[in-house]
Amino acid sequence: MNRSTPAIDVRDLVKLYRRKSGHSVRALDGLSLRVEQGEIFGLLGRNGAGKTTLLRILTTLIHPTAGSASVMGLDVVEHPYEVRKRICTVLQENAVELYLSVADNLATYGRFQSIPPRDIKQQVARVLEQFELDEYRNQKVIDLSGGLKRRVQVSKVFMVNRPVIFLDEATTGMDPINKRATIEAIRNQARLGRTIFLTTHILQEAEELCDTITIIDHGRTVAQGNLQTIKSLSSRAFDMSITFDELTDVILHDLEQLPLLKLTHKHHTAEICVKGSELSALSILKTLAERYTILHFEVGRATLEEVFLEILGQDDGEEIPP
Amino acid sequence: MRMILAVMYREYRMRTTSMTWLFYDLFMPLTYLLLFGIGLDRAFSGGIALQGGTVSYNAFFLAGVLSMASFGIAINTSYGFFVDRENGIFYEFLTYPMTRSQFLIGKILFNCILSLIQATITVSLGVALLDIPVRWARMGALAPGIIIGTAGWFFFLTSFALRIRRNDMFNTFINVAYFMLMFASSMFYPVEALPPWLAAIARLNPLTWHTDVLRYATIGLGADQSVLLEALAFVLFLFLSFLAAVWTLRRGVLR
Repeated sequence: MNRSTPAIDVRDLVKLYRRKSGHSVRALDGLSLRVEQGEIFGLLGRNGAGKTTLLRILTTLIHPTAGSASVMGLDVVEHPYEVRKRICTVLQENAVELYLSVADNLATYGRFQSIPPRDIKQQVARVLEQFELDEYRNQKVIDLSGGLKRRVQVSKVFMVNRPVIFLDEATTGMDPINKRATIEAIRNQARLGRTIFLTTHILQEAEELCDTITIIDHGRTVAQGNLQTIKSLSSRAFDMSITFDELTDVILHDLEQLPLLKLTHKHHTAEICVKGSELSALSILKTLAERYTILHFEVGRATLEEVFLEILGQDDGEEIPP
Repeated sequence: MRMILAVMYREYRMRTTSMTWLFYDLFMPLTYLLLFGIGLDRAFSGGIALQGGTVSYNAFFLAGVLSMASFGIAINTSYGFFVDRENGIFYEFLTYPMTRSQFLIGKILFNCILSLIQATITVSLGVALLDIPVRWARMGALAPGIIIGTAGWFFFLTSFALRIRRNDMFNTFINVAYFMLMFASSMFYPVEALPPWLAAIARLNPLTWHTDVLRYATIGLGADQSVLLEALAFVLFLFLSFLAAVWTLRRGVLR
């Protein structure tokens, strides 16, 4: 496979779900995106934006209504079997064999992924250790907590070395330590040249992990690029942390009158996110400094979450069922 | 082939997680034959008049029990789609590197092996305990009869199991379908003894074709030509059911 071939190439993708009532819901509406090989790609969007639909098309579970999608240069409709040989997937639903032990879950998965039987035991041991599942190896999955079940499911994809990994809300339900271990494992896989396609609601996770991000809404792309590009695409947002000598109700009232994306406060410090140019951020600071005593302030770029809210928070679209 | 073996291995692991389940699968037909068969054998102590002679009810019912067992295993296997869907793993399977046909064939092949073991136990103990006069010379047709029968019913039920989303709806469907197919067939009584309208329906019923082939293979009842025709009709039924099941898996699982 040529390195210049994109890992994922989606062009003008449309997906209509026909309802029994006769009307159609447009889950994807001419969506286009491109993911390069070895990249960690984040797909973001609110519930019903079309993320799961896109993932289902790319993993050959459903056909698009129009447009095209390819994985490692192979069209998902024309060559679904070849595509499946190049991907592994963690779906949003919990997908584990409840009545098999943790080790048997991994071993069964290994057989489906054509790992030679003589190597399976070794791979199972490696993954059990990597995901700290060794102490549960002989326990039936049905007896594990929700977070552990999810860990077993996610760990399966690290049994094999496929070029593209799809992770749909992979860390949902995990405790912070396991989440950290999973994120680290994902990073390591990307370093080995595997492409990671990630959908998540946890924007901090996307910000930490992803090389490029696409935000979709109503089945269309609304923002695309690396983290800095995405942030600059918004009508600029700045995080400000301002510590007053005393944070009174009058100051809070004044702050509430400002066009802010976020306002929180703790003790004498107000955390705000300002929408506008750098100048307007400084102007707000100047106005506040003229009226009140400021002991300390910090200005920084807004987080992805704030940009996400700014881009998508304007209208409430129709929810598309998953 | 590796993928089919992987699916078979998974089916084997799932079945062997419950010994009760496995015991039920292997010995239930025999229990049926011993309880229900013996009761009816006593009730029809003169036997059943067929083709100018008489056969005991136990002998007649043996093929009925075998076809019922094949149907039962097919129901259990197709019901597995619901369990897999509830566990969330069904859709993940569909993203594994295998074709939809490999998935279905692997799923049923293990269960065909189970059917064969079950039939061997039932026929052997039927002969030993109930003196059923089997025609050993025709036994060669039993294994293909069991395999094709189990696979045919599984593929037939798969299309419904994949399309019906609700567990309780599928149960209702199975109950109604099984009831209709079973009683409008040659499973419990000879078709010749039925009123003409019911006999006509029974002759079009694939369960009759399957049972008649198994009856021919076990106690040698039936004319060569008509049984061959029924066998061919059942193979066609299997083939069409397979195509429908694969099509449903490809296009109809998630729309």
